[in-house]
Amino acid sequence: MNIHFKTAWDYIRRSPFQALAVSFVLTLTFFVTTLVSVLVYSSSKLITYFETRPQVIAFLKSDAKDTEISDLQHKLALDTHIKDIKYVSKEEALAIYKKATSDNPLLGQLVSPSIFPASLEFSVTDLSFAQSIIDKVKGESIVDSVGFTAALGGETSLNDVVGRLKTITTYVRIGGIVFVGLLAVTSLIVLLVITSMRVVGRREEVEILNLIGATKGFIRSPIVIEAFIYTLFGVVLGWAISFIAILYLAPTVVTYFGEIPILPRDALGIFELFGIIFVIEIFVGVVLALSGSLLAISRVKKVR
Amino acid sequence: MATDEIGIIHFKNVIKKFGSLVALDSVSFDVKKGEFVFITGPSGAGKTTILKLILGELTADNGEVSIDGFKVATLGEKDLPKYRQKIGTVFQDFKVLPERTVAENVAVALAVIGLPETEWSFRVEHVLKLAGLTRATNLFPSQLSGGELQRVSLARALAVNPKILLADEPTGNLDWDTSDKLMDLFEKINKEGKTIVMATHNLEIVKKYKKRIINIVGGTIEKS
Repeated sequence: MNIHFKTAWDYIRRSPFQALAVSFVLTLTFFVTTLVSVLVYSSSKLITYFETRPQVIAFLKSDAKDTEISDLQHKLALDTHIKDIKYVSKEEALAIYKKATSDNPLLGQLVSPSIFPASLEFSVTDLSFAQSIIDKVKGESIVDSVGFTAALGGETSLNDVVGRLKTITTYVRIGGIVFVGLLAVTSLIVLLVITSMRVVGRREEVEILNLIGATKGFIRSPIVIEAFIYTLFGVVLGWAISFIAILYLAPTVVTYFGEIPILPRDALGIFELFGIIFVIEIFVGVVLALSGSLLAISRVKKVR
Repeated sequence: MATDEIGIIHFKNVIKKFGSLVALDSVSFDVKKGEFVFITGPSGAGKTTILKLILGELTADNGEVSIDGFKVATLGEKDLPKYRQKIGTVFQDFKVLPERTVAENVAVALAVIGLPETEWSFRVEHVLKLAGLTRATNLFPSQLSGGELQRVSLARALAVNPKILLADEPTGNLDWDTSDKLMDLFEKINKEGKTIVMATHNLEIVKKYKKRIINIVGGTIEKS
């Protein structure tokens, strides 16, 4: 075993309660960080879902000719704020209705394609453009009426829906980040206190090492390694607990949100998401360990 | 390098003050390579100050201290550790790491000089055998006697194969028999070509071992 690692490990073994205290705080920090990261991911997926699904449906007049429909479709396609334009014929509309009422087949049998209007469905690249596009499409001669599918909480306009969604997401993100920030600062302080105690406790050893020609790097290495052990322990344990918790809750959450993909649907996607979070947390852990230990060393030196 | 002419240890008009107290007053002497020198004098005469100046623990207020061609005063913060690695030091209060075994105490010195870990066991074994500590290899300092602790300190100093060995009152805490055995060891090491500077006020040892004496009284050299 490397001499610096051995020294660090010996110090951890000699004061297990200090080690446990700092490890648990770091574990809690990275546990919450992982959960907040997933929450941020899910909220952004939620927004993307509402922004990219066919939000606007232009119901066409029954006497609209194919050429007129084709012209309108072409005209919409030229608008850079509009995407995914799809023509839904009367027959397709009936099929959608029948699927929606499949639990009561009688409802499907009572209607014919003629009562369903054909429509042009499309998405907008950004929901903030939606209202102006709807107004523009309403002015088209072959368009009977225009509706939108993103209706939440009884809002009357699409802008309200967008506003509400974005506000909720912003609050979730800011709240999460502030909470994680507070925990990170707490972790840094605890790490700083424990490391300072180590430096003070090693004063005699540091003096001896200085006299026999040890470099600063040699003297500092075990302290930095010890901080690394704590943070890596915190990252791995915090990440693993939240990973298991999310895996456990995933089926319920996915079922509850239905077609909204707030979590990756396949195992590979889940592993990819958590893999990215893990790599970022390792990086944050390294920064935390380095800054905490080096700050403690310089602080103790100044006080001396 | 002109170290042979001016000595591996060269002090020229060295003055060291602690506030208004003059610890060394215009001290000049040279120690040749392979020489064994006793620095004697009463407590507070300036013996330890000389050793600390050699080790770079203190810097002279005036004059020149050069060791093996290095002017100690000009050594930067980065050069000082490298410089100290060339000097072995045996301390009166042993300065062994209390939470490491005898073998680990010696190995630490090897780690400090950056010797590959694969070479440690041979070197540790060799110096512990030389110091007569083979049976104490895995014991902790708290399990050793004063004489044994001093030999650990000596083994650690020797492990890095230093050009110069400094010993600050190495027999100060030991009885006569143990001191005598330790001195035999120093003599053996000196015969292998190491330069030894030993600060001591133990006149019996000085008389018995008949080496060059630099006697300091009140910060000045009375006899060399």
